[in-house]
Amino acid sequence: MHNHSTAVAPPPPHPLDSNLKMNRNIMGMLLFIGSESMFFLLLILAYVNFHNQYGTGSMAAWHLDVFKTGMFSIALFSSSFTLWLAEKAHAKNSGMAIVWMLVTIGLGAVFIAGQALEYTELIKENLTISRDLFGTTFFTLTGFHGFHVIVGLILLCVALWVMARGKEHEITEAGLTCVSLYWHFVDVVWVAVFSVVYLWRFVQ
Amino acid sequence: MTDSALHPHSHKPVNWLRDVPEYQGILSWLTSIDHKQLGILYILSAFAFLVVGAFLGLLIRIQLMFPMNHVISQEAYNQVFTVHGTTMVFFVGMPLLFGFAVYLTPLMIGARDMAFPRLNSFGYWVYVFGAIMMFFSFLAGGAPAAGWFAYPPLSEKGYLFNSGQNYWALSLFVTGIGSVATGVNLVVTILTMRAPGMTLKRVPLFVWMILMDAFLVIFSLPALNAALVMILFDRILNTHFFDATVGGSPLLWQHFFWFFGHPEVYILILPGWGAISEIIPVFSRKLLFGAGVMAASTVAITFLSFGVWVHHMFATGLGFAPLYIFAVTSLLIAVPTGIKVWSWLATMWGGKLKFTTAMLHSMAFLIQFTIGGLSGVMFAVIPLDWQLTDSYFVVAHFHYVLVGGMLFSLIAGVYYWYPKATGRMMSETLGKWQFWLMTVGFNGTFFVLHILGILGMPRRVYTYPLGMPGWAELNFFSSCCSFILVFSILLFVYNLIWSFYHGQIAGPNPWNAWTLEWLCESPPIAENFERVPVVRSRRPLWDLQFGSGGDGENYHA
Amino acid sequence: MDLKNADFTSIFNVATAQNKLLVDLHWFTLGICLVIAFVVTGLMVAIIAKFRTPENDDGSEPKQIHGNTRLEIIWTAIPMLIVTVLGVLTAVTMIMVNPAVGTKKPDVIVVGHQWWWEYQYPKYGVTTANELYLPVGENALFEIRAADVVHSFWVVAFGQKMDAIPGHPTNMFVHPTKTGLFLGTCSEYCGAQHGLMRIIAHVVSKPEFDDWIKQQAALPQQSTDPAAVKGKELFNSATCVQCHRIAGDAEATARIGPDLTHIATRGTLGAGVLENTTDNLAKWMQNPQQFKPGCNMPNMRLTNEEAHDIAVYLENLK
Repeated sequence: MHNHSTAVAPPPPHPLDSNLKMNRNIMGMLLFIGSESMFFLLLILAYVNFHNQYGTGSMAAWHLDVFKTGMFSIALFSSSFTLWLAEKAHAKNSGMAIVWMLVTIGLGAVFIAGQALEYTELIKENLTISRDLFGTTFFTLTGFHGFHVIVGLILLCVALWVMARGKEHEITEAGLTCVSLYWHFVDVVWVAVFSVVYLWRFVQ
Repeated sequence: MTDSALHPHSHKPVNWLRDVPEYQGILSWLTSIDHKQLGILYILSAFAFLVVGAFLGLLIRIQLMFPMNHVISQEAYNQVFTVHGTTMVFFVGMPLLFGFAVYLTPLMIGARDMAFPRLNSFGYWVYVFGAIMMFFSFLAGGAPAAGWFAYPPLSEKGYLFNSGQNYWALSLFVTGIGSVATGVNLVVTILTMRAPGMTLKRVPLFVWMILMDAFLVIFSLPALNAALVMILFDRILNTHFFDATVGGSPLLWQHFFWFFGHPEVYILILPGWGAISEIIPVFSRKLLFGAGVMAASTVAITFLSFGVWVHHMFATGLGFAPLYIFAVTSLLIAVPTGIKVWSWLATMWGGKLKFTTAMLHSMAFLIQFTIGGLSGVMFAVIPLDWQLTDSYFVVAHFHYVLVGGMLFSLIAGVYYWYPKATGRMMSETLGKWQFWLMTVGFNGTFFVLHILGILGMPRRVYTYPLGMPGWAELNFFSSCCSFILVFSILLFVYNLIWSFYHGQIAGPNPWNAWTLEWLCESPPIAENFERVPVVRSRRPLWDLQFGSGGDGENYHA
Repeated sequence: MDLKNADFTSIFNVATAQNKLLVDLHWFTLGICLVIAFVVTGLMVAIIAKFRTPENDDGSEPKQIHGNTRLEIIWTAIPMLIVTVLGVLTAVTMIMVNPAVGTKKPDVIVVGHQWWWEYQYPKYGVTTANELYLPVGENALFEIRAADVVHSFWVVAFGQKMDAIPGHPTNMFVHPTKTGLFLGTCSEYCGAQHGLMRIIAHVVSKPEFDDWIKQQAALPQQSTDPAAVKGKELFNSATCVQCHRIAGDAEATARIGPDLTHIATRGTLGAGVLENTTDNLAKWMQNPQQFKPGCNMPNMRLTNEEAHDIAVYLENLK
């Protein structure tokens, strides 16, 4: 890695090369996402464990505003779509890429703002992380998700900044794909969290 | 990556680690992103903590030498065994395996470095930081004292209110992040950076096991991290995950911890198996017997290891079905493990054995690991687990696996690869002394603990009453032998240092071995290979010597 | 009572019908394991003897063997067979040792506390501490609970141990088959005094048990010894009653520390730490930390005389 130089073209692949042809950064990101999925799976399981056993499910019904959070969730879900548009535009070298990135970041920010609003209201009702098992599991699970959304927003901002600096510093396809994979992952986690925390009670 | 064909002689080969031009000065080590330097740093850190952990272990044995002995207080004792266990698992076992993995993997697959050299460095330094953080707790009001698996409610603030337990959780969380980073790095390296011709079928068994190991790290460490977050929140933010008085569940921690904890055992032992699978063939002068089955059995173990965690909880009264399922998986996992032992024995059978120190350690490993594995089978039989769990029998069992198994095999690995890493041979005279002392010391210390378990001595007791039949004698014997064991570890460290300055110059391939790392100089040049080799079998250097036959075909002595 | 006279402490000492099943399975499994261990060791010895490189070796490589499918099938199939047999025996033994509890009520409730044991006999309304009594020949259903942290109840010669987990009561059956004194220790690490959280179990004949339980169910005798009378006053006015219960004493109703209703009938103090005598009890009260460092009973700061009086009072509670 010492004499790293972009001027030298990579040598042509050897005919006997049997390596996976996937980009290393993307592969690394996918493995990292696999690891993160386990982390969220266990947090969700912790929530589920107490859901029936100690009646936190009914507390969720009592305290949570499904409609309001649902609206903010739609912002997050649609941001995955706008990010996909940004990627497509970027592949075509279209200036729309930056616009769609801005929209994506905006939608993500709206979601975080919604979460902040929700937290404020709950805390006003004196429902805190230390009040009972519902507070404990709810804030831990949604809080870690929110933290990941914020990290995703930072990554998107970095990607946007690199894009905005123009051709010379053009973000590589793989770099953008990594950021977008992470963002989609954060989105998918919210599908699971929203279903379990907000929607599950309607089934019962 | 630079194509070295452009700079064919940019590196003058040297035959001693100290003379490598790129490694001059302490700064070159502290800022390194070279997988070889990081590998060596990992292994050296691991041995430094091994000495610390060994002395803590000795303190345990001194305390238990006599009944009602009070060398240290019960509080100090509880901190000592907690820190001993945590150190040995997380600050010795993990860095030792990562050290071997990041040092050897690129060399063995014909790559010039890891896929993400900076991430590699991040993983190492995060580990160092985490380890220091836990030891810092000694200065910050007391070390953790809830045991290495820290069962709540004991690990909750209400029962252990000093900050040691917080340091413990934070420290493991931080090292856990580093471990996942290194695990990702290893998988990507192995899947995308192999030399031409090195199909996954042809990677050395060591690399194959590291690949499985890295998958285990990636998917089991987050379970620990989730559990650690919960206990930290319980302690710092007053949450109630494990607080039974308001409906929390202490059992949830046990599930989460062991969901990580059992794969962790395989994480620790897999690189040892890998090392043995390289060493035994070379010193038997034979191909590894049934390499394909060996690789497949490793995959089986990797998958099964995620489904056996409840066997740490057989005495929790979970009911017949949930317990029995895990008894079945735990019994099943013995089969692929047994296959390995038979394959290693069959590799030696019909060979021309060379009893080097590395080989002696490997052979002792085989016997000791078999004992540890068989006592493991006994724990899978739930009714026996009811008798034996949490007694000294279990202490004997896991020390047979982790010391008699993992440590012996990786010390064998050190003797085997030391010449590659440093350019000098380790002293065989010192090595054989160390081997015999360690074998006697280890078996003396830990074999009798099986019997103590059968006689009803529970683990983690800071002392035991007078008059229990056999307890005093067996404990005394074990404690005496533990001095020999600790001395042998110090002798090993001394050999590491002595041989660095006085060992014979090794040359590229002192053992006449067959895998790619022995094609490099000893120590390897900064980017490992002058030219990336082309691989045609499992044993490329055999092919180089004889023209073909690396997979065992067409060779008749 | 001298704990040194206890029955042999070993999992192979069959003191219950359940442990008979466990021990039988144990010998069978251990036998298989020993055979495998001997085969591996024997092969190793043979390999060392046969295949060491000869002195006059020509340096040629031995025959390279890729593998042997038949051998590999054999050493997969035989272990499969063994683990299948062990799996079946495991299921059978589990069901026999721990059959479904159904609606049965527990005969004994064991509560683990830091660092002592509470034993309740709900059918007789008896609560006692640290010394368990069981009638021989009767299958008793145990319920195991924890008051604070995780403990594990294990009388070694009874075989099975069972964790005491807060919020998760567990059950096990104990069917003693011989009389005697049996020992154990808490088997899940539970803090400072885990090591001296001893378990003392008396298995006695049915008539002896009936006598014992009758005595425990009755209110304790009240001694008229002046020291005892003074002791009782001190006991009730000092902080003792904030933790301890004595049946029939309206002041002493707390259930934090061990129930002292019939403390004079017990053989030991502090869960097996000291022999139960008036002198030892007085010393214990003056500084429990000396005998069981870290335990939850504080130094009561009693004068020698006060300690003696309380001890006399307590040692008359029969």
